[in-house]
Amino acid sequence: MDLRFLHFYPDLMSLYGSWGNVALLRRHLEDLGNTVTVEEIRPGEQVSFENADFIFMGAGTERSQKAALEDFSRFGKDIRDAADEGVAMLFCGTAMQLLGQSITDAAGTYFMGVRVGNFSCTQGKKRFVGDVYGHTDLYQSPIVGFMNSCTLISGVVTPLLTELYMGFGNEQERGSEGFRKNNVFASELTGPILVKNPPLMRKVIAAIYSRRGEALPEALPIYPMEEESFRVACQELKARIEAK
Amino acid sequence: MKKFLAILVCKLGRFVGKLVGRGSSLPGQYALKICPDILRQITLPRYIIAVTGSNGKTSTVEMIAAILRAEGKNVVYNEEGSNQIEGVTTTVLTHSTFGGVMKADVLLIESDERYAAHSFQFFHPTHFVVTNLYRDQLTRNGHPEWVFDALKPAMFPETRLILNADDPLSASFALDRDNVRWFGLDRCSISTEEPSGVYRDGAYCPVCKSPMEYRYYHFNHIGSYHCPSCEFAKPVRVDYTATALDLETGVLTIDEDLTIHLAFRSIYNVYNILAAYAVCRECGVGAEQIGKVVNNYILKNGRMVRFLLGAHHGMLLTSKHENSIAYDTNLRYVRSTEDPCTVVIIVDAVSRKYYTSETSWLWDIDFGQLNSEHVQKVLLCGQYASDLAVRFSFTDVPQEKIELHPDITEACNSLKAGGAEDVYVLTCFSDRDKLLSQVEKEAV
Repeated sequence: MDLRFLHFYPDLMSLYGSWGNVALLRRHLEDLGNTVTVEEIRPGEQVSFENADFIFMGAGTERSQKAALEDFSRFGKDIRDAADEGVAMLFCGTAMQLLGQSITDAAGTYFMGVRVGNFSCTQGKKRFVGDVYGHTDLYQSPIVGFMNSCTLISGVVTPLLTELYMGFGNEQERGSEGFRKNNVFASELTGPILVKNPPLMRKVIAAIYSRRGEALPEALPIYPMEEESFRVACQELKARIEAK
Repeated sequence: MKKFLAILVCKLGRFVGKLVGRGSSLPGQYALKICPDILRQITLPRYIIAVTGSNGKTSTVEMIAAILRAEGKNVVYNEEGSNQIEGVTTTVLTHSTFGGVMKADVLLIESDERYAAHSFQFFHPTHFVVTNLYRDQLTRNGHPEWVFDALKPAMFPETRLILNADDPLSASFALDRDNVRWFGLDRCSISTEEPSGVYRDGAYCPVCKSPMEYRYYHFNHIGSYHCPSCEFAKPVRVDYTATALDLETGVLTIDEDLTIHLAFRSIYNVYNILAAYAVCRECGVGAEQIGKVVNNYILKNGRMVRFLLGAHHGMLLTSKHENSIAYDTNLRYVRSTEDPCTVVIIVDAVSRKYYTSETSWLWDIDFGQLNSEHVQKVLLCGQYASDLAVRFSFTDVPQEKIELHPDITEACNSLKAGGAEDVYVLTCFSDRDKLLSQVEKEAV
């Protein structure tokens, strides 16, 4: 397949090594024999959502996030339509908040989101930071990551992580985390979440294939280093939970 | 009475603490319990210099102390690096009389960025040096703008700010205020038209978030920037300027006049020297006197260690984990060397102070700089060797040069077993002893 990625605001929303998600997803898809084109979109630039196979935005500071939202708002309908049509998307860190109804910053200023999800975000002066170890309904294996946020997110009915055994979720410690709708994956967990979670990577690949009506190859390639990193992270975090 | 008691307890606590080898925060903590505003009640010296920033605090503070001491000044500083309010309290009280007068000409404080506002609620520094604000320990710091917002309340109007003109974010502390002095580096032999590094923190203006333009870069997003939208820019007039720099020969010229030979030819060292130079000039020390001290100055803080491992001459370049610019700078140094070498990167415990298994920061480091002919081998070591391996698979470093050694001892043994090329080790305080315990140290 010829696959088309849209990577929004690669410089503005680039905290915590977010780019690793796009780089590794691209590699895996190319290893499956696909051709991948990544279009980078910066504020003010035009883009067509037609034939987009994957839409990505990484984490940014709270100020960068507002600048991103100001530009991204013009694509609200395109994003909602794409979400309804089952286009695969990943929004990481503060980018997740753009998909909600609203963001209220620490000073009380209200910003309207692009309304893919029915949740609202309230930013404060305290940060919730820490490793996260949880469960998703998408598969059996655990999901790992790091929460680095100053935002409480309320109103998510379909979280990505349905249960946390360690760390902060959308609204509280050990609450559910992230957001999912059709093939939209969103999580406040920062950085290269697909690199850290090979099973989630496989789910995103499956979503891209299914949207195209293509069958996944029966045996996907195995990436030993990625699996080993995942094993180490799971082992470390699990030991941490058990020690408590 | 409370004041006397607080000072007494602090002095006693420090004395006992030293005997039993405990840290320096606890006595201050007790003193603050007895008398919460004790710091307000102490008569402090004429100069109170605070130094903060993501990178270079400790080295800058050490050089400032060396310069001022060479001037005959009695300098007191928190040498043990306890840089929150408790540590500062210990430092101040243990050097005060029981009547509450500090016995020093200069109080020099290395201050934690996030806690400066808290530390300085009872007294205000006369001079506040901000070396830079980079992506640093994001698992506890959030991100650089979060640190900026935390630090801003500590920028009191009467405090003279000594700022890095080349770093857009920390330079923006100067907006809407005066009483600022600048240090910076002119366009020089290391300057480039394109930024280096994996991410572009200079792409957007820290003030208005419009795209920013650069006349030149020194490294990463450090250089001469200007925002066409809000006109925020590197100051036109920089008070203390490195007017020429040649890292190959290790010669730095300040204000076209003062020549300094660099013991360590790294851009880091240059900015630390500039920051120390700027604040010491502000405190009345002459340029020549400063030059005498910092010329060929070798830092004593042990961030750079030379060692022998089998037939290899090695150099440990301490690079804070979770700090991509620290790594980038040391990787650039390795790249600038010419003799064949092996590079060892150890990520075993992310921090010595807190637990995390977060490795996102590896994706912010420009490891591709090791794609150089003279780098013959790269050993990836420690518990997170596989995370490093995944990250390295996105560089141009040929895969056949990369070896994985999760076990650090095994990595050392493999080096001992053969070869005599130079070895550069990049790792953090949290992991460096795992290497240093297996080598023979040499004089720097």
